[in-house]
Amino acid sequence: MNRYLPLALLAFGILAFATLMLVIAPGVQIARHSVPPQLEPYTEQQARGRAQYVGLGCVYCHSQQPRSPDQAPDGERGWGRPAVAADYVYDQPHQLGTMRTGPDLLNVGARLPSEAWQLTHLYQPRAIFGWSVMPAYPFLFEIKPAAEPGDTVVVLPEAFAPEAGVVVARQEALDLTAYLLSLDRTYPAPADALRDEGYATMESGS
Amino acid sequence: MTRKPTSSDHIVDEKFEPWERNGRMPLPVVWVAVALAIWGTGTLLTTSGGAPETAVEAAVQQDRPVDAPDSGAALFAANCATCHQPNGSGVRLAVPPLRGSEFPAQGPELVANVLLRGIDGPIRVDGHDYDGHMPSFSAAFGDAEIAELASYVAATFGDRDDGVDTATVADLRARAVGQGTWSGGEALAAAYPGLPPQPAFSSASVTPVSADVSALIFEGRDDVWACASCHGDLGQGVENTPRLSGLSADYIAKQLRDFQTGTRANEHMSFVAKGLTEADIAGLGAYYAGLSVPSTAAPILGGDLKRGETLALVGDWDLGVPACFSCHGPSGFGVAPNFPALSAQQAPYTASQLAAWAGGHRANSPLSLMDQISKGLSTDDRRAVADYLASLPAVPAGSTGAVAKEGDGHDL
Repeated sequence: MNRYLPLALLAFGILAFATLMLVIAPGVQIARHSVPPQLEPYTEQQARGRAQYVGLGCVYCHSQQPRSPDQAPDGERGWGRPAVAADYVYDQPHQLGTMRTGPDLLNVGARLPSEAWQLTHLYQPRAIFGWSVMPAYPFLFEIKPAAEPGDTVVVLPEAFAPEAGVVVARQEALDLTAYLLSLDRTYPAPADALRDEGYATMESGS
Repeated sequence: MTRKPTSSDHIVDEKFEPWERNGRMPLPVVWVAVALAIWGTGTLLTTSGGAPETAVEAAVQQDRPVDAPDSGAALFAANCATCHQPNGSGVRLAVPPLRGSEFPAQGPELVANVLLRGIDGPIRVDGHDYDGHMPSFSAAFGDAEIAELASYVAATFGDRDDGVDTATVADLRARAVGQGTWSGGEALAAAYPGLPPQPAFSSASVTPVSADVSALIFEGRDDVWACASCHGDLGQGVENTPRLSGLSADYIAKQLRDFQTGTRANEHMSFVAKGLTEADIAGLGAYYAGLSVPSTAAPILGGDLKRGETLALVGDWDLGVPACFSCHGPSGFGVAPNFPALSAQQAPYTASQLAAWAGGHRANSPLSLMDQISKGLSTDDRRAVADYLASLPAVPAGSTGAVAKEGDGHDL
């Protein structure tokens, strides 16, 4: 080991280069892009719902990143246009996810805008989709003998309704639903947006 | 510098450290490296030209009015001929003719006015009465395009060569703000005295929906979600939730019954439909058939709009696919009871239904017509035709209007 200095310099150089290309350059690239005017920050309730989303581990089965038409038929599925970096500006940490055991949720608020539907589905997914593998979340709800004023009663078919009383959404369920309904990135992507190009660029030859 | 061992040096130096002089790089490796560098630079230069543009954006831009307007003839062929026919003869009993009509003969200003505001009401053209439903093109065209188109229509079908300029159209547009559509020929005749007598406009055709059905649409029931909570307050739909307004009552009723019996499979709608009575179904059909709502759909799937237009207008007989409009009516306005309106339908919904027919997940088309057609279409074709249909103006309301109380839900 008689060339300690060149070795140290080289190691430092590699680290510096990696930091420049993987951290600083993307940071500069993203910082140049403005926030889409149609994208609203989360309200307090939506932020609480987001914490529920994170806490319940929804990200393990649901992605939040619709892909380009060249990679998957996400558009036909109603999952929305390919996501761009600016869509996640208020998401820290982002909930991109890698698994698609369930559908993509980045535009679920546009696709399924019904609060009543969301509550039924959270209480018992099998009430709607007999084949669903999504866990039920009954602990976000409570069974009351009768609904009190201000209560949100869950719409349920007879087979899934309790024998007596009604199912009422707890605050946690309402928060989570508010967050899900806020997931709507259907506004047009800004012209200068950083996006998932898929193979479109190569195929169109531009 | 370490001492070099020599042949005469029999005693090996214990401090000796082996080393090697830098050998020369083999020449072929240099050639390969140079070739790769040239290829890489070339690829970088050829693929990084300007801002990359996705197919989606390109499709949206095609639809946008450009600064230099197309000629009137091209605009007519692309936008008017699907209903009024290329020779302006119209469709008997459904779409008034332009050839032989008194209206273009009144001059290009009237034509521009109709293009800007649309018509909703009875109209008498060349001695025949029509249920006039012309969509407004004010959002689709700029002033220059309306001027080109109006001048062309007046010159071709009304022998009026005086033309109209962009400034006049801008003035007409400013005056049309907040005016809504022309209520039939009567309103036009009041503004343009040269027109022949027109049938009287009556707004009495509005039939209110029952309180039960209104509650079902906007509030839901114990075991049914509100229709409007997914399909929107005006039945405009979103993503793969379909637009309902303007579909014929019979078509809506048939689909609801098919959901009830399981002939058409959709988990959400089966959940909803099983709780509906026949009276509910009839009321819902009448309500949505009578709604006239501007299009909220857009070509968002990145499909090829030109290809979609070809499929809709002439089909592709190499694939065994007839023109959409040959059954679904001019401009996809729908032909009751079996052929639903296609224009302004949400593109993801249209594309997903075509895929469902092709894959056998939807099988309630009369005579299995759509099954065969969908199988002939490739994924790109389905996307193209769905995008093209989403770019068309909304279907005009049916003649039996209905009014329900609007809920407190979301706006458009």
